[in-house]
Amino acid sequence: MTLKRQLLLVSLLTLVLPWAGYRFIHETESALRTGQQQMLAGTARAIADSLAKYPEEFPAASSSGRRVSDQIYGHALEARPEIDGYIDDWTIDRAALQTMRGVDGPVRFALGIFDQAVYLYVEVTDRHIVYAQPEAPPSGDDVGNGGRFSDGIQLVSSNPPYLENRFTFTAEAPGPIITHVETANGSTPEPTIHAQWQDVPGGYQVEARIPATLLGTHLGVVVFNTADDSQAPVRSSSFTGATPGAFVRSSPELTGIAANLVQPGMRLIVTDAAGWRIAQSGKLTPPDTGGSGIRSAWPRIIYDALVESGEEASLAEPDASGLEQQGYIVAALNGSESAGWFRSNESGTAVVAVAQPIRVRQHVVGAVILQQGTDAILSLTNEGLSRLINVTLIATILVAVTLLGYATWLSRRIRRLSVAAERALDGDQLRVRLPSAGSRDEVGDLSRSFSSVLQRLGDYNDYLRSLASKLSHELRTPLAIVTSSLENLEHEPLNEASASYAARARDGADRLRRILTAMSEASRVEELMQNVEPERLDLAAALAAAVAAYRDVYPDRRFVLATDLDTAPMRGSPELLIQMLDKLVDNAVDFSAAGDTVTVRLDRNDGRLLLAVENPGPSLPGRMRSQLFDSMVSMRPGSDSRHLGLGLYVARLIAEGHRGRIDASNIEGGVAVVVSLPGDNNGE
Amino acid sequence: MARRIAIVEDEDAIRDNYAAAFRREGYDVDAYAARGPALQAFDVRLPDLVVIDVNLRDDVEGGFELCRELRSRAAELPIIFLTARDSEFDAVSGLRLGADDYLTKDISLPHLMARVAALFRRLDALKQPQSKEHRIRRGELEIDTDRMRILWRDRPVGLTLTEFWLVHAMARYPGHVKNRQQLMDAAQAVLDDNTITSHVKRIRRKFIAIDPDFDAIETVYGMGYRWLAD
Repeated sequence: MTLKRQLLLVSLLTLVLPWAGYRFIHETESALRTGQQQMLAGTARAIADSLAKYPEEFPAASSSGRRVSDQIYGHALEARPEIDGYIDDWTIDRAALQTMRGVDGPVRFALGIFDQAVYLYVEVTDRHIVYAQPEAPPSGDDVGNGGRFSDGIQLVSSNPPYLENRFTFTAEAPGPIITHVETANGSTPEPTIHAQWQDVPGGYQVEARIPATLLGTHLGVVVFNTADDSQAPVRSSSFTGATPGAFVRSSPELTGIAANLVQPGMRLIVTDAAGWRIAQSGKLTPPDTGGSGIRSAWPRIIYDALVESGEEASLAEPDASGLEQQGYIVAALNGSESAGWFRSNESGTAVVAVAQPIRVRQHVVGAVILQQGTDAILSLTNEGLSRLINVTLIATILVAVTLLGYATWLSRRIRRLSVAAERALDGDQLRVRLPSAGSRDEVGDLSRSFSSVLQRLGDYNDYLRSLASKLSHELRTPLAIVTSSLENLEHEPLNEASASYAARARDGADRLRRILTAMSEASRVEELMQNVEPERLDLAAALAAAVAAYRDVYPDRRFVLATDLDTAPMRGSPELLIQMLDKLVDNAVDFSAAGDTVTVRLDRNDGRLLLAVENPGPSLPGRMRSQLFDSMVSMRPGSDSRHLGLGLYVARLIAEGHRGRIDASNIEGGVAVVVSLPGDNNGE
Repeated sequence: MARRIAIVEDEDAIRDNYAAAFRREGYDVDAYAARGPALQAFDVRLPDLVVIDVNLRDDVEGGFELCRELRSRAAELPIIFLTARDSEFDAVSGLRLGADDYLTKDISLPHLMARVAALFRRLDALKQPQSKEHRIRRGELEIDTDRMRILWRDRPVGLTLTEFWLVHAMARYPGHVKNRQQLMDAAQAVLDDNTITSHVKRIRRKFIAIDPDFDAIETVYGMGYRWLAD
């Protein structure tokens, strides 16, 4: 893993920033919400206390013990419905319809109140509608007369403990129908009641307007269903037991009080002990669908993660059926103050709601529900969020870019260092100043250690190079002692055996001397290189002369000079270059067999002269290729005292002294040593 | 009266060997191990020839110092450096200080004896009236084999003994290529290729100092050198 990638990984740590920001906003948001909740709860408590002064407005308290499902809710309508047998023009939702079981299927009904009139709407599932006979108005308990029965609806009204009235709705045909009121005195048509019967696929529906004065405090809906007019109808009703449940309606008194108590942007709902909504006032500020809402996709995701999700916001709306069944309201009705939190992901609506029980003499008679939109919180969190996103983005990018740049800089320094070190090693120039050597950081340390390692390596190389000449120098004096002693010995009278020993000793000393001369040759060449005065020469001509000479020197090899160049001008020392060629040819001869052809090749390539000496013979082992031109490295098999591995080293010294390069490579069936020398193109 | 040779050499064995060889040749020999005793003795009496080692034990450049002092006392005294130091730089330094020859200890005793004899012969010749017999003339070049002197356009070229022999070997048969081995033999010295190269280079430089147009010595690549006939 590169340094750059490592640091990039480290830069991922900046992602802690958004997390911290998230925590902060989250905390702020929940603190604000808690504050708002407490404020609302306080208001709700005050309202509950003030409403407790009107215990008569909570009638359900007196009918406690009855089932809530027996009760019927009178929706406050906002417009006068047309009596046409359809519920479309009621200002309530279809979900507000109460349901009870019928013979052929569910029966749905609703009661509405508008302007001193009670409106009734019932829809009955009936597979076979049986109309009433015209000459036989219904009477008695049953819908039908004289053994003739029909389908129909009864609205049962009572004012416990008083008797009840029944309003019967039957039809001779779809359309306006006459309602009969049945009392203890019998059945009489009631002209103040307007009703309409509509047949619909699978049943019928009835809509009626009844003056409020005709009705008591308790109401029930009863449906009769008969298969044909000869059979007694089956009765199903909205209440269990003998008497209908309470008719719950909103209290104008409480609504008036509530209107005074509620503050703008809040909604106040008052329920009775059963949870029926008996007063409602105020409106929630509609959510600003313009700027503050977050609509684009990815901030939304963050936003949703950021703000605590609540219940679906639509649940905060007053229940369509009139019966508030939200958990926090139920909890309030059970006597404990509670709160709710609603939020809609789609619309961004968020509502804080609190419910507070209303107690009259320790009894819970109802609940106050206070709701408020949290636009303030939302806009705060929105703003915080967008700022957080921006700041985080900028910070992360800044940190990443900085780290990336730093990493690039750092890795470039290190790379430059390693490249420089490599180059120093390859080029054998071990006393270079490495990059970053002046820095006081770790890279500088590294550079300095590198330098000192290279320095030591250079010292060691120098030592190795000078070893041969030093050694030869040191050995020269003892050798002189030996030779001069032997030469003196020759002048002494010796017997035959002694003389032969002396002669052998002379031979040995001679060989030793030749070795020492070879060993000091390299340092001699180095000295010469320093003092050489380059002159212009024609390498092609020099090679031609030299190759001709080699034919005489090595009669058992064939020499070929392969070149297309007529002239090859360059600057240098002809003697040294020829000496270099001597070494290469000597080498080539040694590694080839008698009768082989040694090829001396001269080419020009890109302004440089390429001098190659090729000979057939064994190829070079790969591992030795780079060391071949080092001091005292020999690849000759066995030990040949004439060669100390200095020949090619001397050739290299001369080549490098002429700003050239020397290289050896295997060619087909042999070896080629190539010297690349700078040509002199200024001439001619 | 036998000629007196002084040897200043710190290595006992070599000193004794050389001394023995010189004595065998009939010279009187004074041997010294260090510069101080040698100078004291030279105050009393100068020898006829001095053989000096450059490196006198702890006195690293002692031989050079000695040479300088001797040359200041006697301009004509033949001085030969005989040393293990074979670097070009040392050789040039020694010859600049006025030494007549700079030999490495590779040289064999017979060669050394021949050199010394040649030096004495040159001294003797300088004292004799000039005789034409021992002169070789090749165009502008004149070789005086008696005095071991070389003249180019009648002006003397200051060559050392080794250089003299090299020019002599080449110029005797102009146009003939002398390879390095032949030149070495002629100079009665064991020299390697590079030393020959340096010598030839120095010789050329000395001629060029007299005559900038000098180009009588030709390098024959891969073989050696030859003296060009006019």
